Amino acid sequence: MPGRHLARWTLSWFASALLFLIAALALAVLLAPAPGEWTGGRGLALVHLLAIGWLSQMMFGALTQFLPVLLAHPLLWPHLSPVALALTGAGTLLLALGFTGLEGWSPGFLLLPLAPVLLGAGFGLIAVMAAGSLVPARGWREGTGRPVILAFVALGFAFASGEGMAMTVAGLDGAFAIGLDALPFHIGLAVAGWLGLGTAGVSYRLFAMFLIAPDGGSRLRTVTAGAALVLLFLLAAGLLREIATGAAPSLLLAAAFCISLTAGLYLTDIIRLWRARRRSVPEVNMQMSRPALAFLAAAALMAPAAVLKGGHLAEATVFAALIGWLSGLTLTQMIKIISFLTWIQVFAARIGRGALPQVHELVDETASRRWLSLWFGAAALGTLALLAGQSVALRLSFALLLVAALGIVRQIWRIRRLALVPPAMRPDCLPPLFLPPARTEPLQ
Amino acid sequence: MTQTTDPIRELDVRPILASGQDPFGAIMDVVGSLPPGTSLRLIAPFQPTPLFSVMARQGYAAAPRQRGDGAWEVLFSPDTGSTTEQDLSPGSNREAMFWPDPAQSLDLTGLMPPEPMVRILATLEDMAPGEVLFALLEREPVFLFPELSAREHDWAGNLAADGAGYRLLIRRGGEK
Repeated sequence: MPGRHLARWTLSWFASALLFLIAALALAVLLAPAPGEWTGGRGLALVHLLAIGWLSQMMFGALTQFLPVLLAHPLLWPHLSPVALALTGAGTLLLALGFTGLEGWSPGFLLLPLAPVLLGAGFGLIAVMAAGSLVPARGWREGTGRPVILAFVALGFAFASGEGMAMTVAGLDGAFAIGLDALPFHIGLAVAGWLGLGTAGVSYRLFAMFLIAPDGGSRLRTVTAGAALVLLFLLAAGLLREIATGAAPSLLLAAAFCISLTAGLYLTDIIRLWRARRRSVPEVNMQMSRPALAFLAAAALMAPAAVLKGGHLAEATVFAALIGWLSGLTLTQMIKIISFLTWIQVFAARIGRGALPQVHELVDETASRRWLSLWFGAAALGTLALLAGQSVALRLSFALLLVAALGIVRQIWRIRRLALVPPAMRPDCLPPLFLPPARTEPLQ
Repeated sequence: MTQTTDPIRELDVRPILASGQDPFGAIMDVVGSLPPGTSLRLIAPFQPTPLFSVMARQGYAAAPRQRGDGAWEVLFSPDTGSTTEQDLSPGSNREAMFWPDPAQSLDLTGLMPPEPMVRILATLEDMAPGEVLFALLEREPVFLFPELSAREHDWAGNLAADGAGYRLLIRRGGEK
């Protein structure tokens, strides 16, 4: 019975996220604003298609699959996953359309207040589902659970601040409206808090597994979690102070330094893991994780200067984090994760009963490495283009990112279709590309 | 070598080592004569790490500590004594403690998923119905459990007390 090992909707989350990525990059090739103008309508629409549609949906899909695996406790109400998927997808589209109000499309301002309703419902649903694993596993005492919990808290603040600013942009001055000066805190909470801590939390276990490295919690990891907690406090306190008094520059700068510190501690831990690995030649997903982590180092080093100078430097920092680090790492691990899940889905029932391919034989490593290299090269080009204020180079970067993303999506499609597996080993019937398999047993 | 009559037996292997002999046989003799529920306190001049997995296969969890005099003291306690039912992974067979001794043992630490799952299922295919397999893993094999159920094998597993490994007993089901 293929499919009983997988969270039913994980691959649907991934497919939706990849669709948002391709759509956002294609739109960016056509419409990307010039460096320095990313807080306009088009820029905000593109950033949110990437941050929520692509990265957050990917994170939700990964969490619904791996949180129960890593914490050994099932999700609460896993059958609500497609509802959360539809809510976050529709909410992201409405938000992007809403921001076009700033470009002169006035109906956008009517859509803008609706988007947070759908997004809030979707995020809330996922948080409840995740709590089903995190609470009984006492996730707050656990190396993987802690950063994921902090990430969800950050998501709550990022959502609330984003919702408040969306109200202000839409011209609705109510109790929930927040001034646009809160934007740096919103970005910090969303990128460093939600996406950053969530990614880091999941990465410890996955990296240890892929590198065959000892996975014991270390004192360094506890210190890193402490730094992450301080970071979250600074961002949340800064946001509240900003709302109350209209200015919180010292808290913002302290948060930026804390981002550098937390990232430094995390990277030290990962380097330690890398050196302790028992797998002498890591697979392509771990080899290509190194440039992604280099982008994290770069973005974390740039964060304090970005806060002080703003403008091009701030845009380049956010780009390096979103495209170089988070998107790069996600695409890199996606190759491995999808090949692993596909192998389990198709071949688990046949173990010990005949010849089977190995997991890595589902992946065209050469082609994957080529497309991932193009992605990281294009991410570097885009970061430099934003720093230098070069619009043409930025567009070129988005075009190259689009080509790379399409190449990686093609590799994922080939993995799902077992294109590299010898015909004799292929099953008669392949599982659906990204939809859940037909239900053959009660809910797990 | 000193032995006491406490519920915890004590074995000091330093004299054996000092005389140039291998203490493994003496340790196994004492382990073999331990009454059910009795723990073994082993004293050695170094941390006897290789012994931990041997003892895990015999059903004992290791708790090492270094003494003030530099020697190592390891308390090997029976798993059933240190394990409450709540510690067993959901889906575990509660009668596992009455199963026969394992006919096969696999140390699957240091293998990347899905290799532990492949080895366990392949080994079970060659075992007779009713026989028991013990496996030591790096983490809980969550993708394996549904496959074990589908093949009608019973299993019981729990995380080591220090969280550093996962111990799994599987009784071969009737399906072939």
